[in-house]
Amino acid sequence: MIIFLKAGGQLRTLLKPDIDHYTRRVEIDGLKTVAEILEEIDVNPALVALIHVDGKLKDFSYKPSDGQTITLQPPVSGG
Amino acid sequence: MIVQKYPGADGLAGTTLRINLTTGEIKSLPTDTRLMREWFGGRGAIAKIIYDEVPRDADPLGPKNLFIMSAGVMSGCFIPAGAKIGFGSVSPLTNGHGDSNMGGHLGPTLKFAGYDMVIMSGIAPKPSYLFIDDDVVELRDASQYWGMGSLECEPALKKDLGEDFEIATIGPAAENGILFSCITHDFGRQAGRTGQGAVMGSKKLKAIAVRGTGGIKVHDLAGLTEHVTAIIKRTQTHPNMEPWQKYGTAFFIDWSNKNAVIPTRNFQTTHYENIDGINGEALVEKCLITHKACFGCWMNCGKYTKAVIPGKKTVYLEGPEYETGALCGSNLGMTDINQVAYLNWLLDNVGMDTMSGGGVIAFGMECFQRGLITTDDLEGHTLNWGSVEDAEHFVDMIVNRRGIGDWFAGGTKRAAEKIGRDSIKFAMQVKGQEMSGYDGRHAPGMLLAYMTCDIGAHHNRAWTITVDMAEGRDTVEGRAKVVVYLQHIRPLFDCWCICRLFWGELDIEPEEIVESLNHITGWNIDTAEALKTSEKVWNLVRCHYLERNRANGRTFDYPPARSWEDKIPTGPSAGKGVSKEQVETMLDEYYACRGWDNDGNPSREVLHDLKLDFAADNLEKIGLLGKPLPDGIPAVRGERYKPKAF
Ligand code: SF4
Repeated sequence: MIIFLKAGGQLRTLLKPDIDHYTRRVEIDGLKTVAEILEEIDVNPALVALIHVDGKLKDFSYKPSDGQTITLQPPVSGG
Repeated sequence: MIVQKYPGADGLAGTTLRINLTTGEIKSLPTDTRLMREWFGGRGAIAKIIYDEVPRDADPLGPKNLFIMSAGVMSGCFIPAGAKIGFGSVSPLTNGHGDSNMGGHLGPTLKFAGYDMVIMSGIAPKPSYLFIDDDVVELRDASQYWGMGSLECEPALKKDLGEDFEIATIGPAAENGILFSCITHDFGRQAGRTGQGAVMGSKKLKAIAVRGTGGIKVHDLAGLTEHVTAIIKRTQTHPNMEPWQKYGTAFFIDWSNKNAVIPTRNFQTTHYENIDGINGEALVEKCLITHKACFGCWMNCGKYTKAVIPGKKTVYLEGPEYETGALCGSNLGMTDINQVAYLNWLLDNVGMDTMSGGGVIAFGMECFQRGLITTDDLEGHTLNWGSVEDAEHFVDMIVNRRGIGDWFAGGTKRAAEKIGRDSIKFAMQVKGQEMSGYDGRHAPGMLLAYMTCDIGAHHNRAWTITVDMAEGRDTVEGRAKVVVYLQHIRPLFDCWCICRLFWGELDIEPEEIVESLNHITGWNIDTAEALKTSEKVWNLVRCHYLERNRANGRTFDYPPARSWEDKIPTGPSAGKGVSKEQVETMLDEYYACRGWDNDGNPSREVLHDLKLDFAADNLEKIGLLGKPLPDGIPAVRGERYKPKAF
């Protein structure tokens, strides 16, 4: 199944976008949590402050479905 | 009176006002374009004027201190979030250069009225406010507003003058000389740090009211339009935009808690058990009314909210944003977001910086917890964690300087000096200014950023927590060069008076910002020159601090002893903390990276490289010029951090 991860800031560099400036296409084997997906692609979840799907907040246990876009927001660098 | 106006160079309004508050004399002068070019306006130009003109022995709350307001070279121009205005003076909190800035609409409006900078000296004989309506500039009687809360004074002035005036005010805290008083504008934007409100209050200046209807000429409008349009298009689809618009900065409270950096009960620990009651979700669910933005910004990180507490009047405010949420939330043991919002409103209205204010209340609560102050000292009240009533009473004692409230009116450091009994160990400040909303014990780069911040502990000059995570939170090596780079890049926003949140958090590269500046001003500079100018400002501020405080720099750069004596007791970072040796190692690395000697004093070589020979001469005269470095100074000071995989 294919999902799309989207991120800006320092996270963008780690995500290595390949679709556009912010988005990476990731192929996963069956249902997996966001935490598991991030581990597979070597992104430290500590750098993710918010997980946004279709305008709604989700947590690391969320399991994206095929074709979904998951937006990852890094922490604000000093609020 | 109608003042003479001068044509502005590209990006500038053209006129600078000099106002002697003692005599009431108002002079208008052409803005010094060379000063603006060499010091970048805003924080930089303010730092240079204060360095040149305020005698080293001047009382920060006396007539010889200057109080300067500057809108920089980019505020009000056709760029996103060109919304800022800077204030500066010798800080009564730190006894060094102080500056603080805020968003809203005042900066652009000042330039639309025709003024780049207003430099005020002296002390008004009676409460006054500065009235600027395009060409008309007057000092007006403010007796009827004196004593009003900041959030009450602004609508009162708007009612009297007109809705289209932009207003900055102080509250009773500043009128009474509370050293961490702030300046408030737009009902919830504050220039909070370094006690700029206290200086304004000492000058008996209750408010500044500005209406401006002019425009600002830029160097290359077509180029600027094309450049900015591309940035606008790109940022509209930026993944950070929507979460920012919805939640603002308060949403990072949860993240800080999960990652064990959130100050809890006066920085005793870094993980808070009641975070769900005070986090961003609680804010949106219980308090949010609508979103609010500054001039030229569509990121609208401001949150207009209400706080409802049974038995108290419902209050309306902007916030709490992250810093207030942490420092008046977990740091005070509050369990409900309405309590945090209420305290936010309370401190805004009396005119206290919510960051230092939160720190001061927390310090008082820990003193009470430890029996260092008792109900006898508190007019029969308690000062317990999580009690809004106790906090409100304590704030009232401070604002009105009753009893031990007077000790806390000078911030945590001065209060600890009065209380004694080793309380200085947990007065969470550096150079007299209270720490921001991150605990640095398991984020050593952040601790170094506080220690070395030029205006006393403040996160905004350098924020390194994700770097600490990437490089290892138990090691300190290599942090200094990142802190130095950040201390150069981030204050540039305060020179140019644009919002760092918009320009910094949406992946706009420094080169693109400099290109915007060049389109506006025609200066044709590159990023390296921008960084070097910012470094020049940093070094001048350091020299100024040493000249006023007369001891080796290293003596001023230590954090409170809790930072290395107390390991974090609970939460994900339990048992962690930096050692005194690590603190010393970070300072050694930091000074070497800056081209300062091991005492923390700038060397002549680095000051010469930055064209600050006059400051080197001044340091030499008082025996505080840094010794030459054995291997010379680094060619470039600071290094941009490149994120790496884990
Ligand atoms: S990002 Fe927030 S603080 Fe910055 S200009 Fe926009 S609304 Fe104001």
